[in-house]
Formats: sequence, C-alpha cells, structure tokens
Amino acid sequence: MSQDPVILVSNDNKEYEIPRSAAMVSPTLKAIIEGSFKESKGRIELKEFGSHILEKVVEYLNYNYKYSGVEGDDDEDIPEFEIPTEMSLELLLAADYLNI
Amino acid sequence: MYRSRNRPKRGGEDEVKGPNSALTQFLREEGISAENIKQKWYQRQSKKGEDGKGGKSEKEQSTQDDDSTTQVSQKEVIEEEEVDDLELGSGSETGKAEIAYDARMNLVAADSDEEEYETNSASATPVNLSPAKNQESLIKKRQNTAKIIQNRRKKRKRAANLLDRRVNKVSSLQSLCIGKISKNISKWQKETGDSSKLVFNRLRDVLGGVSTANLNNLAKALSKNRALNDHTLQLFLKTDLTKLTFNDCSKVSFDGYKTLAIFSPHLTKLSLQMCGQLNNESLLYIAEKLPNLKALYLDGPFLINEDTWENFFAIMKDRLEEFHISNTHRFTDKSLSNLLINCGSTLASLGLSRLDSVSNYALLPQYLMNDKFHTLSIEYPLNEEYVNDEIVINILGQVGSTLRNLVLNGCVELTDSMIINGLTAFIPEKCQLEVLSLEELDQITTDSLVYFFSKVELNKLKECSFRRCLQLGDMAVIELLLNGAKDSLTSLSFNSLKELTKDAFVTLTCPDLTYIDLGFVRCVDDSIIQLLGEQNPKLSVIDVFGDNLVTENAKTRPGLTLIGRQSDSI
Repeated sequence: MSQDPVILVSNDNKEYEIPRSAAMVSPTLKAIIEGSFKESKGRIELKEFGSHILEKVVEYLNYNYKYSGVEGDDDEDIPEFEIPTEMSLELLLAADYLNI
Repeated sequence: MYRSRNRPKRGGEDEVKGPNSALTQFLREEGISAENIKQKWYQRQSKKGEDGKGGKSEKEQSTQDDDSTTQVSQKEVIEEEEVDDLELGSGSETGKAEIAYDARMNLVAADSDEEEYETNSASATPVNLSPAKNQESLIKKRQNTAKIIQNRRKKRKRAANLLDRRVNKVSSLQSLCIGKISKNISKWQKETGDSSKLVFNRLRDVLGGVSTANLNNLAKALSKNRALNDHTLQLFLKTDLTKLTFNDCSKVSFDGYKTLAIFSPHLTKLSLQMCGQLNNESLLYIAEKLPNLKALYLDGPFLINEDTWENFFAIMKDRLEEFHISNTHRFTDKSLSNLLINCGSTLASLGLSRLDSVSNYALLPQYLMNDKFHTLSIEYPLNEEYVNDEIVINILGQVGSTLRNLVLNGCVELTDSMIINGLTAFIPEKCQLEVLSLEELDQITTDSLVYFFSKVELNKLKECSFRRCLQLGDMAVIELLLNGAKDSLTSLSFNSLKELTKDAFVTLTCPDLTYIDLGFVRCVDDSIIQLLGEQNPKLSVIDVFGDNLVTENAKTRPGLTLIGRQSDSI
C-alpha cells in the first residue's frame, strides 16, 4: 500500500493534504481509501462539507493520530481540541459521516 | 462534569447545571460560600489585630495588612481563574466579564488600602523595593502561581476523567461536538429569549442530517447537564426516531410529553427517567398518540394514579411488550394485576424496582405466558418477604427456559433454594442467559452457586454481578470461570466479596472481559492487578475502591485503568 498523502477536497474545491495514516483514523475514509474506486488513488472529494468544516476535520484527524498513540501517564499533556461554538453543529454532521 | 464547590452565585436558577446537590444550591442561594467565610475571618482577624496590638506602630500594621490583602486578592484571582476554566460553559461572556470585574474589584480594594495606609504612615514606606526588582518578583510570583494552577487543574482533570470512566484519552470528534452543543444550548436559548423558536428551527435544520444514534447521544449529554427541558426537547420532535431515551426528564413539563407524543409518532421504545412531571393526562396521551409504542421504561412517575394505570394498560392491551417501572408509590398491587391481565400474554420484558406499594409479586407466574419472555428484573421490594424463594421458583418455572436477562438485586429474602430449585432446575442446560445480577443476596452461599455453575452451561453470559453476596467464596468464582461463561463474559462484579482470596483470581482469564469491579475485595493487591492485566487482554477498567493493598506501584499494562485507588486522591 502506498504511503502517499491523501487529498481531501471540499465543496469549494479547496484541497487539504493529510498523511494517509491520519486519514485512516476515520473508518469512512479508510473504507474509501482501501476500496477499489478511483478515490483509492488518494484524492477524495467530500462535496458535502465546506472548506471551514473540512479544515477542522483535517485538524482533528491529525490531532487524533498524533495523540491517540501516546501511552503512559502523560495524558495530561494532550491539549484540548478547540471547537468554535458556531461550528459545532455542522462539525457534528461531518464527524457523524466520517465516524470519528 | 467537575464543578468547583465554592463557585459564586451568578445568574438565576438557570445556572444550576450538572450534578449539584440541593445543599449546594441552598448555600448558593443564601450567599454562603467558603469565600464569604474566609473574608469574614480576615475581617475579624484584622479587627482583633487592631484591638490587640494597639501599641504597634502604624507602619508595621500597614505592611501586615498589605500582605494579607494582596494575598487574599491573589488567592481570589487564582480561584476565580480556576472556576472560569473549569466552568464548561465558559464561553459565556457575561460570566467572564463578571469574574474579571470581581478580580479587578479585589485588586482595586487592595490598591486603595495601600494608598490609604501609605498616606497615613510616614514617608518611609516599607515597600521600598526598586520598581524593576518589584516587577521581577511579581513576574516570578505570577509564574509560580500559574504553575500551581496548572498542576492543580491537571490533577482535577485526571480525577474527573477517572470518575467519568473516560478511558480513551482522545475523545471522538462526535462526542466533542455533542458536548459543545449541549453546553451552549441553554445559552442560545437565553440569548434569543422569545424568538427561541428560530434557534431551534435552525438547530433542527442542521441536526436533521445527524444519525439517530447521535441524537440519542445528544439526549444523553443534555440529560447529564440537566439541560433537557421543554425547549431543548424540541430537538427530538418531528424525527424518524424509533427509540428515544431521556435519562433526566425532571424539567420536562406535562406539556412537553404531550408535544413529544404528537410529533414523534414513530416511537416504538420510549424511556423516560426521573419523569416526575409526567401526569395522568400525558401518559394517556402517549398511549393514544404513539400507535407503534411497544416498550416503555419509566422512572419516578409518581403523579400517575391507580385509575390512570388501569386505563393505560387497557389502551396498551396486547401491544405492550416491554414495561419497566421504578420509584413510584402510586403503582399498586391493583395496577400490577391490571398490567398482567391486559398485557401478560405479550410481555417479553418486565422490570419492577423500588415499588413501595406492590406486595403481591405472587401474581407474576400466573400471567407471564409469553413463550418469548426474555427479561425479568425485580429489585428492592419494600419488604423483603414479598419476594421469596417460592415466588421466584414459580416464575422461573414459567419463563426460565427462554430467559436472557435476570436481575434480582436487593431481594434479600432469597436463599440457596432459589438457586438450586429455581435457577438450576428450570434454566435449560444450554442456557441463553446474558445478564445475571444477584446483588445483595447475602443468604446465597458458595455451594449452591457451584452446583448451579456445574449443571448449567452459561455460554452466552456477558454480564454477571454478585455484588455484596457476602457469603460467596473462592469456589463460586472458580466454578464460574470453569464454566463456558469464561469466553463470553465482558463485565464482572465481585464488589464486597470479602471472603475471596488470591486463589480466586489465578484462573480469571477471560478473552472478552472489559470491566471488573473488585471494590472492597480486601485481598486484591498490586500483584493481582498485574496478573489480571496480563491474563485479560481486553480488560480496560478495574474498580478498586476500598482496596488498600492496591498502591501506586501496581503495574498495569497500557490501556488498563484503575479507578478508586487511594493514592490517586487529590
């Protein structure tokens, strides 16, 4: 399996690049990447989400990937993931869809 | 959610969120707080000082007072900051402004005192440090306090996480969002005032696309924050939800229940916990307007009287498949017989808990005729004699062959006879039991359970609790683990089994076990904790409250959390 980064595309055609392993945090994206369609080449269009939402999603995927591997008692060092209040509803939709 | 004890009163009663006790609320309403008491003490002290040390030079006194006031104000600032941070709804601008205002007030007070004393005392003020030096020490002090605050916050956060059983360090984005929404929902409501409908329309538009699972998660989060009321209830209307659970309905009025019944006609299963405001009218409304309703779980419906129960069961005749009720004294023997006569043949799941007006449990075996009956839960009868061996044996004779969940918590009259002549006799050898909970049955002994486990194969048992069955010893546990149950168990409770020794845990190897409660099992020590972690790959939480041999040296593998360890206290 290639280790190339994955590109997520929002509905206003903005592209966000994230490491393949971080994208794998989401079961939905994992299924898409591992599937046999053209998305498996690494460009996934998520036309349901605006760029501001997708940006936050990418931020979370990186955040989750970075910190969920941390073991031991140092869990206090994990910073909180900030969500702007006005974004919370739409972000919930995205999180729901991506199952993260 | 962790809340500081001495949180000052801000706003009205709407501010009461989270698990606050009535006492806390009372103290807050009366304006009694630790801060107040402290202030009074300082006042008294300074008064005493003035009286007692009359001869003391003005200068000395001024320094003393300066110190104490700055100390006080600094402490206050620290506390305020902490409170601010801990407040989950800290987004509230007004709250922040108020806190900042308070802090400023305190500082100003201190400053003005300083000036006053300085003008009073002669020019030789003791605070003679050069401004640069002064600033440096101030910065240092600030840094120190910041560090202390951070440490304290970390400790509290860890403790709160432990108590919330939050094992995953990184919570999912969904739960983060739901948390955020539930925190702000009442704020949005307040801000918009009368036009709140607009907000909810918007919410509903957006949430329309959220899966039903997340809607239920949102209901859970709202209940936890005590934010579920008639307004927030609107989120759940006009949806295709078929199952809905509200864990805290204490603020939902009878009108709320009625609108719920009108606008969510697809509901098949409804669970309303703490539904104290559910009245006769709304219960009948629910029965009439929800044609598909098959399962109803109610906790605390104490406004519903005998007649309404009678009507309700008449409406639900041949329709009700699951009925669980707890915490009401108005559900009487007559109501129980109404339930059984009307719905006995369709009931597949029945739960009766803490019903103080029910004594005639002997009715049950006559009416439970459904050959698909799977769940029986009888808990905490008013008088222990009401639920005796004979009754339970009769019930098991009737439904034992199909039973999947059996809960008999707090029926303390039950003895070994129930285990031998009931469970062993009527539950088929290859049984379907998934949940077995026999909490607080202090008369059952090791021998009867050993007999039961050796006769019946519990291949599907997932949850098992023998909490406070005080007579149970090692052999009962060992025999349970020799049984087929070993491979299916996911949750176990041996809380307070004081007779257990280390031998009981040597054979405890369950591939699917995720949770075990070993609270007040005195023999449990560091070595057993290590052993359990090694032998049970999926084990993620062990409760060890009251196990004083479990120390901070206990070795746990990554992914396993101990809760209730003495050394973890703050």
